[in-house]
Amino acid sequence: MHVRYFAAAAEAAGREEEVLDVDSDATVSDLGSALVARYGPVMARVVTSGSFLVDGLATRDPARRLGARVDVLPPFSGG
Amino acid sequence: MAPSVDPSSRRFARQHVLAGFGLAGQRSLADAHVLVIGAGGLGSAVIPALAAVGLGTLSLVDPDTVDETNLPRQTSHGVADVGRLKVDSAADAAARLAPELQVIRHPVLFSTENATALLDGVDLVIDGSDSIDARYAANDAAAALGIPLVWGSAVGYGAQVGVAWDAHGIDYRDLFPEQPSDDGDSCELTGVLPMVCGVAGALMAAEAVKLLTGIGEPLLGRVAVYDALTGRTREVPYARDPARGAMDVAVGVDSAASGASEPDSEPGSKPSRPRTYSAPELAVALDGANPPALLDVREDWEAAIAELPGSTRIPFGELGARIGELDPSAPVVVYCHLGVRSAHALVFLEQSGFSQASHLAGGIEGWAASVDPGMKRY
Repeated sequence: MHVRYFAAAAEAAGREEEVLDVDSDATVSDLGSALVARYGPVMARVVTSGSFLVDGLATRDPARRLGARVDVLPPFSGG
Repeated sequence: MAPSVDPSSRRFARQHVLAGFGLAGQRSLADAHVLVIGAGGLGSAVIPALAAVGLGTLSLVDPDTVDETNLPRQTSHGVADVGRLKVDSAADAAARLAPELQVIRHPVLFSTENATALLDGVDLVIDGSDSIDARYAANDAAAALGIPLVWGSAVGYGAQVGVAWDAHGIDYRDLFPEQPSDDGDSCELTGVLPMVCGVAGALMAAEAVKLLTGIGEPLLGRVAVYDALTGRTREVPYARDPARGAMDVAVGVDSAASGASEPDSEPGSKPSRPRTYSAPELAVALDGANPPALLDVREDWEAAIAELPGSTRIPFGELGARIGELDPSAPVVVYCHLGVRSAHALVFLEQSGFSQASHLAGGIEGWAASVDPGMKRY
């Protein structure tokens, strides 16, 4: 599966994108846990407040199945 | 009273010859009323751009006054404007470029309560504020009124810009369905490279002009994400989830933290632990028989200004690598400057098996405000 990281997610991962091996029935929640385990507390911030766009659809439903691509985008509010 | 903007003025000659723009586009701008939320970093780029391009009416909403720390990025304001209302200073900046522009000043916070009144007669909203509350209030009010919202955020080395237009099937909630419980990364916390405000503000002003004149393809269903460190702008495409209505009901605001189960409800955990301490509650706990340990997740420079005595300090960004230095079964209260980093650190500690961790709501700033007035603040 293709994962793209944006803004603070890219900083936490140290990369803008990567290909991850995931189980065919893996969920958004599984991906969040895997990313926190891999990249630590900075990624935990992104996982708790950011959007996981599964093939272009934003979801906070942790049980949603993953797709071909997930974009991880944190919100921020600086003006 | 100043005369209204003349779309045929020679001032706009370079736009009159622009393919697809012309006098018709210029007339659309002269007839338009745009409301800008926030006269800060993004507003400082958006407001002069709209004034100069020939907009007819501009409403400005911002309750703040100009602070010295605003000046590097909020370039509509100068040193002499420190202490003035931002809407006054920004209106002056706009008037230098376009004395005929009608400017309406609202030195108030944009909120769900005043949104509908402020948007009366407005054709397009631009939100360049630093408030998540204002973002969702603007989104929902614009959707209800059927008008487009151009939104942007800038922090650190990055910016996001997009267009929300519910009448065309996309709004901000299609990207970020639930309002986060805090403002996330902010300029106070993370800092900001001033130029990212200029880049994002120019993108936002261009989207507004495109929408008002009907040219081009708006950033609808696509977020532009700019990174100054790489110089790249990448795009995140998104669409409305067909199940959005059902999802809104099924998933609560706190579901974001669902990975971090509330330990109080977990079998085997001690039910007495509060997840959150206020500053006065923490003061009482620290004076008690079994005071909790303190974990400061701020940076060196912050600790040099003020800290709570007896703290262990591990900067937030190092917590993952250094978590082994901490005892997962010992009571510990995490704190930072304002309570944002510590809240996220708490979630991480819980996910890592810490059963007795809490955090200080409001951070050391809240401590200085309510417990120790003599403490240095920043």
